[in-house]
Amino acid sequence: MDHTVSKIMSKDYQMKAAINQKLIEMGERERLKELLRAKLVESGWKDQLKAHCKDVIREKGLEHVTVEDLVTEVTPKGRALVPDSVKKELLQRIRAFLAQHAAL
Amino acid sequence: MSPAGCPHVGGWKADGWRQNLRLIYRCFVWSGSAETRTRKAKSCVCHACGAHLSRLHSCLSCVFFACFAKKHIHEHARSKRHHLAVDLLYGGIYCFLCQDYVYDKEMEQIAKEEQKKAWKMQGVGEKFSSWEPSKREVELLRHNPKRRRITTNCTIGLRGLINLGNTCFMNCIVQALTHTPLLRDFFLSDRHKCEMASSSCLVCEMSQLFQEFYSGRRSPHVPFRLLHLVWTHARHLAGYEQQDAHEFLIAALDVLHRHCRDDDGKRTSNPNHCTCIIDQIFTGGLQSDVTCQVCHGVSTTIDPFWDISLDLPGSSTPFWPLSPGGEVSVLNGEGHGGGATTLTDCLRRFTRPEHLGSSAKIKCSGCHSYQESTKQLTMKKLPVVACFHLKRFEHSAKLRRKISTYVSFPLELDMTPFMASSKEKRMNGQHQQSADAFCSDNRYSLFAVVNHQGTLESGHYTTFIRQHKDQWFKCDDAVITKASLKEVLDSEGYLLFYHKQLLEYE
Repeated sequence: MDHTVSKIMSKDYQMKAAINQKLIEMGERERLKELLRAKLVESGWKDQLKAHCKDVIREKGLEHVTVEDLVTEVTPKGRALVPDSVKKELLQRIRAFLAQHAAL
Repeated sequence: MSPAGCPHVGGWKADGWRQNLRLIYRCFVWSGSAETRTRKAKSCVCHACGAHLSRLHSCLSCVFFACFAKKHIHEHARSKRHHLAVDLLYGGIYCFLCQDYVYDKEMEQIAKEEQKKAWKMQGVGEKFSSWEPSKREVELLRHNPKRRRITTNCTIGLRGLINLGNTCFMNCIVQALTHTPLLRDFFLSDRHKCEMASSSCLVCEMSQLFQEFYSGRRSPHVPFRLLHLVWTHARHLAGYEQQDAHEFLIAALDVLHRHCRDDDGKRTSNPNHCTCIIDQIFTGGLQSDVTCQVCHGVSTTIDPFWDISLDLPGSSTPFWPLSPGGEVSVLNGEGHGGGATTLTDCLRRFTRPEHLGSSAKIKCSGCHSYQESTKQLTMKKLPVVACFHLKRFEHSAKLRRKISTYVSFPLELDMTPFMASSKEKRMNGQHQQSADAFCSDNRYSLFAVVNHQGTLESGHYTTFIRQHKDQWFKCDDAVITKASLKEVLDSEGYLLFYHKQLLEYE
């Protein structure tokens, strides 16, 4: 890999790790999780995914399906189905949090 | 995927495993305190590659965190022969030999307890967790394999009641009660444990009634046992004359409340703080503020209530004028055209400041003398089920008559303007924005309407009840017919039952 690219990547990565740490420490990560959970239920996302999971289980057979199977099959669809409005709102919250705790 | 976990969990459960597991959950999965959160933030990274967001797992046999996505934890499991790991995000236990998440009852129990503790510490409080049957319940379900499916068209819960001789006053209330969702859930899940020695427990009879209504039988039920119990416990309602449905409601709630309290010895020692199902559902708190006109000192009392009795225009006590604030009617979606009285008008009148005349002076503790005062009623605490009683029967010294004035009532009702807290806000100069009102948790939905047709001397009670969110049925003793929402809202209305839309944990 190109030296400069890996440098940028690791800096980006360091920042992500630092932000994540701060979020956990201040308990904000848990609050954001709760907000996200509520929004995903409200928008019907949870029901859509649940139905999809049931389909996968039916396909693979209840006795043979593993959690890994479900994760592999359901993750891409789950990611794609998150409404843009929800993504926007979460992003706004994180930005606001970072603005408040600017000493990063 | 058996609930006994996988065969490898047993081997892992060495002495003190419970403590170790709790520690792991408390420190690295559900960190409640600030201290554990900091530790979690700093130490939860993959020991192999330093990643922090790729489904980290913690080994259950040694201090080792690694990511799942890149299989680093799998390598550790293989090389060290540590077969179990816990998912730091969701707390699930993974077995590398079974190659799947496993569910051990004991470990699940510990996980749940630690999660609840963390939520409490974070101030999140109690969260919803779905129902899981107990051993006894699983047994019962196995012995009783017949199941009922509730579809939008099914009529389960609807059953007529035979009139045993002017007993429509009782029948109409029974219909309203058997269609009160929380009450129905309480009785159908067998929550009443009777400790009354005799067979005259009204709560048991109610339980039986719910069984009859939800049995699926379509022939009308004959409530002779209920009638007999009512006569036994509420003598003033005995006899074959027509009685007042509202009186019956209050008497029934009172007897049920007393019989519920007899269950638990502890409760009877504190009559003001009952936790029986009747109090949980029907009891609200009515705040009465008496303001001295001289020193402006306020004396406040809060009394429990099961219903709100509202005066109507056309009675001998004057109804209009009301206090200012005409925007409240619009809030509840009622028109004010043509001077038709609305339920909100009645509530505004009920909660208006009333000047107690010079003939009714109250002793003021501030002035130490008798002064003129104003009295105002507001809702301190709203019940889950709010019952409004429109006072249609006038029993004054001069006349006995029925007031048939039409009062329009809404399908959805917002009680915010009538709350004690709203009054305080208004007095402190905080203007109640209309957006605010819709966000509050004081919204109620109509689910039953008891109507009286006829005159004071000879009349008949019927009930409209709500089923499956938007279907209405008219219950006329033994005859149940489908009704339209328009019919319900156009009816005269005597007793109006509203159910809170959002329920909260205590």
